[in-house]
Amino acid sequence: MNDYLQLQGVRKMFGETRVLDHVDLSIREGELVTLLGPSGCGKSTLLRCIAGLAELDGGRILLENKDLAKQPPRSRQVGMVFQSYALFPNLTVSENVEYGMKMRGIARPARRSRCEELLALVDLEEKHDVYPQSLSGGQQQRVALARSLAVQPKVLLLDEPLSALDAKIRKNLRAEIREIQKRLRMTTLFVTHDQEEALILSDRICIMNQGRIVQDGSPEALYTAPRTEFVARFMGSYNVLTRAEALLLFRNVDSTADRFAIRPEAITLLREGEGRTEAVEGCILAGGSVHSVSVLGNIIRLTVDTAGIRLTVDQLNDGRWLRIQEKDNVTLALDPSQLLHLEREGA
Amino acid sequence: MNIRKAGFAPRIVMLLFMAYLLLPLLATGLYALARDWQDSLLPTAWTFSWFSELLGDLRFLSALWTSLYLCLISVALSLVVMLPAVFAITVYFPHWEHFMKGLVVLPYAVPGVVAAVGLIRTYSSGPLDIAGTAYLLVGAYFVVILPYMYQGIRNSLLTVSAVELLQAAELLGARRRTAFLTVILPNIWPGIIVSSLLSFSVLFGEFVLTNMLVGGHIKTIQVYLYQRVGESGHLASAIAISYFVFILMLSMVLMKLGRRMGGEVSK
Amino acid sequence: MKPRNRGVILALLPFLLMVLAFQLVPAVSMLAGSFRQEDGTGFTLGNYLHALQSAYYMQAIKNSLLISITSSLIGIAAGLLCAYCITRFTSRVRDRLLMLTNMTSNFAGVPLAFAYIILLGNNGVFTLLFKQWGWDIFGDFNLYSWSGLVLVYIYFQAPLALLLLYPSFYGIREQWREAAALLGAGRWQFWKTIGLPILAPAIFGTLGILFANAMGAYATAYALVGGNYNLLAVRIGALVAGDVVTQPQMGSTLAVLLALTTLLAVYLNQRMARHAESFGFGPAAKTGSNGKVSLRLRPAVRKELGQ
Repeated sequence: MNDYLQLQGVRKMFGETRVLDHVDLSIREGELVTLLGPSGCGKSTLLRCIAGLAELDGGRILLENKDLAKQPPRSRQVGMVFQSYALFPNLTVSENVEYGMKMRGIARPARRSRCEELLALVDLEEKHDVYPQSLSGGQQQRVALARSLAVQPKVLLLDEPLSALDAKIRKNLRAEIREIQKRLRMTTLFVTHDQEEALILSDRICIMNQGRIVQDGSPEALYTAPRTEFVARFMGSYNVLTRAEALLLFRNVDSTADRFAIRPEAITLLREGEGRTEAVEGCILAGGSVHSVSVLGNIIRLTVDTAGIRLTVDQLNDGRWLRIQEKDNVTLALDPSQLLHLEREGA
Repeated sequence: MNIRKAGFAPRIVMLLFMAYLLLPLLATGLYALARDWQDSLLPTAWTFSWFSELLGDLRFLSALWTSLYLCLISVALSLVVMLPAVFAITVYFPHWEHFMKGLVVLPYAVPGVVAAVGLIRTYSSGPLDIAGTAYLLVGAYFVVILPYMYQGIRNSLLTVSAVELLQAAELLGARRRTAFLTVILPNIWPGIIVSSLLSFSVLFGEFVLTNMLVGGHIKTIQVYLYQRVGESGHLASAIAISYFVFILMLSMVLMKLGRRMGGEVSK
Repeated sequence: MKPRNRGVILALLPFLLMVLAFQLVPAVSMLAGSFRQEDGTGFTLGNYLHALQSAYYMQAIKNSLLISITSSLIGIAAGLLCAYCITRFTSRVRDRLLMLTNMTSNFAGVPLAFAYIILLGNNGVFTLLFKQWGWDIFGDFNLYSWSGLVLVYIYFQAPLALLLLYPSFYGIREQWREAAALLGAGRWQFWKTIGLPILAPAIFGTLGILFANAMGAYATAYALVGGNYNLLAVRIGALVAGDVVTQPQMGSTLAVLLALTTLLAVYLNQRMARHAESFGFGPAAKTGSNGKVSLRLRPAVRKELGQ
């Protein structure tokens, strides 16, 4: 059994509300797992339970097969990075980084050199003696990362560490976090509500909703094969269809599911009157009219009304669709093999 | 997420602290209602006679009246003088605010006794001999409430973004004075009422300056209380309690007002 | 001059005149007076020399300093403890407690001294009760002496300390505690390395306010001990507006000395408040030197003073 960190039937109540509802999860050593979900789904609470900052109401948390239940946060060997950095304002950058080592009674020279090492790792060598308040948000978060790595935790918990930063810094830092994580082979649990972030960073993604993990798997698997409507809507701008709508578009569907989904880029767009030779083998053609057009850089996103159903369609922005306008008539090529059959929620 | 319950130790500590704070008040209250209170834990007989005696005492009523009108005049004067000045400084000379801050800290940092020394020296001789008069006292009171009024008016102006409001009104064609009267004033009014009431309650409890500057001539409620302390304990208790209840009601009104305004601003 | 500027100057003029007449001129006059000879003419340092050499005045200064320092230290200790405790309650209970505290802080000066006389004076209720019960722990206690004054001073110092300190406790973010706990710090280690250092500016700043407050306290002492106990503030009052003989120059001198100590203390408070801001929370609350703290619960008013 090589599961490094195991959660078994974890439950947590806040008063009458069930925040975590029998969560099972196991994480391998060196793996980066993302907990992805809307705010209030319990993902941060789960992190706090692992850290020991919140008590469990049921279930077990095992690290290297040892139950963490009885241990206070400080002896769990778990590092955590908070959304709001939580750097100590009365200590300098290096004092912040050395704090955990100091608490563990590590001698000054050893602390010093480890601190240098870590500040080099996060690219902040020049900032030792600066107070955190004078650093930018991205720099503060890197200090927080270095601080939690300094005590060589067995598991690193990142609680929406990038949410407070602006878009560009977020992209850089997320790449940096991934690189450091890979280099140190740090077992990491990353909480976010941003699916793009999750897709780029993770070895594995767990989607959470209402205190449960509703689906987990590799980023590719989750993106291409959502099992429920919630995941389909959360992972991308999937077109979710009712059974009646699916029957209308695809004529017949060979399942009993009552929700279906199709990705916007799996629908091909043909201009009205254009030769239908381009149509892919086996596709079903449907006429429709363009409702809106927006250019998202290399992709053009259209919404098209067909048979009373509004579908989102993504086309590569290769120049062919530059002059398309609202109310233009188009033909859609729908591939039945791309139609996903969704399970009922909570099944 | 502060929903945890207080532990045992904090409860005990706060209980003791509150008992310590309320005991003198309670004792004064009991004393004011006691016919006789000696060598027993609680008074043995009760009476309202001290209060009725108080209300029948002309000196008390005149002291109360003196306090009321002196405080009212001072607050009104302060309003008339401070409103345009603070407005002008906030809107036209924001760089003066540094100097204003220094000026406003002084009444806090300089004790009343010290202020009284300077005032007595300046006004007991020379061209302006107003020693012992209400003029001097009102002037002194003006300085006492300066910090409260300045901060109150300034904060109100800042919370309604007076400068932007004024500019908007002017762009719409209003003249400066009209804009001040029709746009700024109605908006900062609630804040000004709060600081006026606060100033009033501060002045109502003022003793040092009053006693030193005009103690022999003008009797405010505080001076009256001081003079009656030696005479009858029960009567003095009744005065102290009446005074306290009055101040209490005033601060309740203040708090209500403050909360209502705080709510409005934050919404 | 443009008419617009004339209007602005007209708005400022009464204010400047009032401040000049009742704040600045008296201050200068007092300062000048402290350097005048007894007949009010010439220039001399004699008053200061006399004040610092006279055993009587030195005793007043010493008594005032001692009583201020003692009551401030006890007050801040009590305030700190209560401020910590008060953060442990739910916000409803906390607001009630703060309201009560705020309420009693209106009970200062003459009425306060009077309440203590009723309780612990020569014929005070407790004094008589204890005598009757045969307790003599309070046998040595004398309300009209040093110990009595300290007791009464603490009564207005402790609530003030609580009201000024408790907002700073909310400046200590829960996540700092959590981060420290995860990094291996125990509760006590957290307070030693993070909590108290962050509170330090607020503590020292409040100490400054408390000290100034006690140094300048006149009404309470005057009503309680009158001329029987030698305190600087009471001495100044007697020198300037006494019933017997007034010595305005000497009064000015002592007043200048008193003002120096309180100005220094308030300056400390301002410096500390600026320091506290660098930790990312708002200005530490400040207050006047007359023990009035009504309404300082409102954030707007807490921003009072010179920030």
